[in-house]
Amino acid sequence: MKRIQALAILTFKEGIRDRALYGITIMAVMMLLATILLTNLFGHELGKVMVDLCLSTIAFAGLLLTFFVNINLMAKDIDKRTVYSVLSKPFSRTEYIMGKYFGLILLVFVSLFLLVVFSTGIIFIIKSADASLYFKDFSWICYFQAFAFQLMMFVLLNAVIIFFSSITSSSFLTLIFSLSVYVTGQSIEEVVSFFKKEALVYNITSPVNQFVVEYLQYVFPNLSAFDIKMFASHGKLISISHTLSLFGYSIVYSALLLFFASLIFNKRELK
Amino acid sequence: MSIICNHIDKTFKTGLGGKTVHAVTDVSFEVSPGEVFGIVGPNGAGKSTLLKMFMGFLRPSSGEITLFGKSPSDPLSRMNLGYLSENPCFYEHLSAIELMQFSARVSGVDSKKTKNKISRLLKLMNLEHAGKRKLRGYSKGMVQRAGICFALIHDPDLIVLDEPMSGLDPIGRKLLVDLVLDLKSKGKTILFCSHILNDVERLCDRIAIMCNGGLKYILSHENLIEQGKQVTLSVSNLTREGSEKIGSTGAILKVEENQTIIFCSQKQLKNIMNITAAYGIKTSNIDVSSNTLEQLFLDAISVDVVEEVCHV
Repeated sequence: MKRIQALAILTFKEGIRDRALYGITIMAVMMLLATILLTNLFGHELGKVMVDLCLSTIAFAGLLLTFFVNINLMAKDIDKRTVYSVLSKPFSRTEYIMGKYFGLILLVFVSLFLLVVFSTGIIFIIKSADASLYFKDFSWICYFQAFAFQLMMFVLLNAVIIFFSSITSSSFLTLIFSLSVYVTGQSIEEVVSFFKKEALVYNITSPVNQFVVEYLQYVFPNLSAFDIKMFASHGKLISISHTLSLFGYSIVYSALLLFFASLIFNKRELK
Repeated sequence: MSIICNHIDKTFKTGLGGKTVHAVTDVSFEVSPGEVFGIVGPNGAGKSTLLKMFMGFLRPSSGEITLFGKSPSDPLSRMNLGYLSENPCFYEHLSAIELMQFSARVSGVDSKKTKNKISRLLKLMNLEHAGKRKLRGYSKGMVQRAGICFALIHDPDLIVLDEPMSGLDPIGRKLLVDLVLDLKSKGKTILFCSHILNDVERLCDRIAIMCNGGLKYILSHENLIEQGKQVTLSVSNLTREGSEKIGSTGAILKVEENQTIIFCSQKQLKNIMNITAAYGIKTSNIDVSSNTLEQLFLDAISVDVVEEVCHV
């Protein structure tokens, strides 16, 4: 545990000093500040738009961070053979995988936490400045619940990165595979629902397609389930049971990915 | 034994369904505690592959390796081991001090002693002024020296160095040579491979010469001195019986126009002189040449190079 913790902190330190991270944070802060300029455009919808814009900005920053900073932190370790220096110490490969994963998660959590604090300040300022009428449906709990859902999505997405890094030696391939899983994960729910409802009604699908889609939905993570911005903007709280089941889904799916990553990485030869 | 390497083979497949490459073939040796063991060989000889198998980065296709009685796949085998890879690469946004703190922590060094150990090593490797600087601003030689600090912070009993001299300037090389001599005097076991034969010759108790994945020779320091001093005798009036007697000592005979040249070691010289006296063989010239490791190395690999050319 001590070694996992040490590697997680090392990974976090390496990531937090990456200039790309500063770029992403500055861009996200600018986007959040820009929402202040747009307040007069939305009238009665202001509260909903603010929640939507702030959460979207945080999610976008999280995605950039995951795909460009975290992939570098993990995949380049193997690409550039930095892994030799870590594994020359008494680390098991499973400890290495876990240490790197927790480091990436820590980096995402800290960065997004700073952004959510900043966005909270902006919403608070706008809400207090004669616009509380337009925030009738707004709820802080719903806002933070949506943010927590986003964090759980990143818990899962970073496990995807670790999984692909354990298979490939190239950071570019890890990026391509992880992006594919993200895009599929965001759209799999819609595709499944399309096949289940409309395609069956109009008889435009084959049994093979049905079979493939039916099983693909269990293979790919359903990332769209973590997007509850719409509920948060309308001030609708997601039930505790649904929240817990989604959090459980993220943790179990991530644990499985880390288990397979560790299994593969243990067998892998580091040439 | 600190290291036991028993009939190690390593093969790689090149590409999808590609041909099999034998990187290491039937390598066996043992390294005793406190010994400095050097591996030399041309590029592609399999030296680094062998060291990577010691570290558990690669697994042998067959054979067995043990480090202090443990398999390299056991993380605990690296508890008492320091490793410097060829062209080491570290986290470039971290400083040498942070890197060493990490190394000390995961190797179980007492946190109270860490600070002292770090400053002592930084001073030893002449990196005191750059300890807090990020590694991305380091030159290649400085990264190499930081790597040595990283490997030695927990005062390991076994030190594995892969091309430790590469990228070091003469001052850095001197620092490293002094360090290895110091570690040797403290009874540490050191295994390293290098292209710089002078340093290997100077530092190692035994030297293994590798070529095309195989182990050609293992020479002790005494062997090296003995084999290095080669004697050449030019003789005439050599009878058949006399040449058989001289041949039986292990000397090599080469017949030229009016004379025969005998190549022998200094140990063989006394016997050969007795034989020449007994059989009335005239010795016209004796030449003692100092044969360096470089010459022995070139002789050892030349056989393989010839074989390789013949295969082509």
